Amino acid sequence: MISELIINAFLVTIMLAIGIALLKTRTVIFTVVLTSAYSLIAALMFITLDAVDVAFTEASVGAGISTILFLAAMAYLPKEEEENLNSQILPAISCMVLGGILIWCSYDLPEIGLLSSPIHQHIVPDYILGSRDDIGIPNIVTSVLASYRGYDTFGETIVVFTAGVAVLVLLKNNTNVSKQKNKKSNGKIG
Amino acid sequence: MHLLVLSQEKISNMISSTIGIWNYWIVFLLMMIGLFLVIGRKNFLKKIVGLTIFQTSVFLLYITFGKIKGGTPPILNNAIDTIYSNPLPHVLILTAIVVGVATTALGLSLVLRINSEYGSIEEDDISAQDLVDYHDQIESSKKIDKKFVQ
Repeated sequence: MISELIINAFLVTIMLAIGIALLKTRTVIFTVVLTSAYSLIAALMFITLDAVDVAFTEASVGAGISTILFLAAMAYLPKEEEENLNSQILPAISCMVLGGILIWCSYDLPEIGLLSSPIHQHIVPDYILGSRDDIGIPNIVTSVLASYRGYDTFGETIVVFTAGVAVLVLLKNNTNVSKQKNKKSNGKIG
Repeated sequence: MHLLVLSQEKISNMISSTIGIWNYWIVFLLMMIGLFLVIGRKNFLKKIVGLTIFQTSVFLLYITFGKIKGGTPPILNNAIDTIYSNPLPHVLILTAIVVGVATTALGLSLVLRINSEYGSIEEDDISAQDLVDYHDQIESSKKIDKKFVQ
């Protein structure tokens, strides 16, 4: 039982290493690949933390689709990031202070994996029994997602649809504007 | 023999309590890395990468809360004494992952739009260009005023 927590701690340390590499790198392709690796290791961690559905989704959507989106966007963007070290001191200090406060507060959080921690006490037994008796789907996550919280999932679909429409509108305007700009510049030259 | 067993227990307790907090620490550090990428870097693509890092670390925090030692994934089986890990954080995070990708797509398309308008995705370049445009506008409006006066 403790071995899975040790694997877990090892994986999360790899994620920290990837995060530090992301802070250092200035090349866009490295950034994209590191983000993909980060999501993939997060998916592995979800498996060790018993969240198999989340791991599946993270590996396909987080590591797959968002990497494709980043690569597609990368083709039209500058390949290197400009260096400017002057203005980073204040954000760095504020992040360090906030991180210190969060780590200080982490002593009040319940230890990982205790059955007696408050999150496991409240309504979860009802959901587990209800999934077996009322809904009859063996996968509890599915029964909560599609039945108990069905409206929420519907709202999520609407959010994704809205984002898709917004992306289409933005990219369509993009081509129009560039054409207009070309016309204007051609006119000036002429 | 008894002492040895006791010390082994102590050591395993120590390891488990350290590991019990270790996960939270690293997750908080990852959150701060993400936040720093968003507020500290001037490159818009890096800012969106920072958002992704922040999101994934929050997912990890939630899933970590749901873990039970010795539990199984929350899929019902016929054994009597099974402990299932908490399924509710899993459901929340499933929704959040999909919405997060939608956010990333929208952000990337905004970055592409900005790049085609300004030819750069660095915040400093863009604000400098905006300043130049503003001065140009003021100059041209002055000229128009002079025309009206004449």
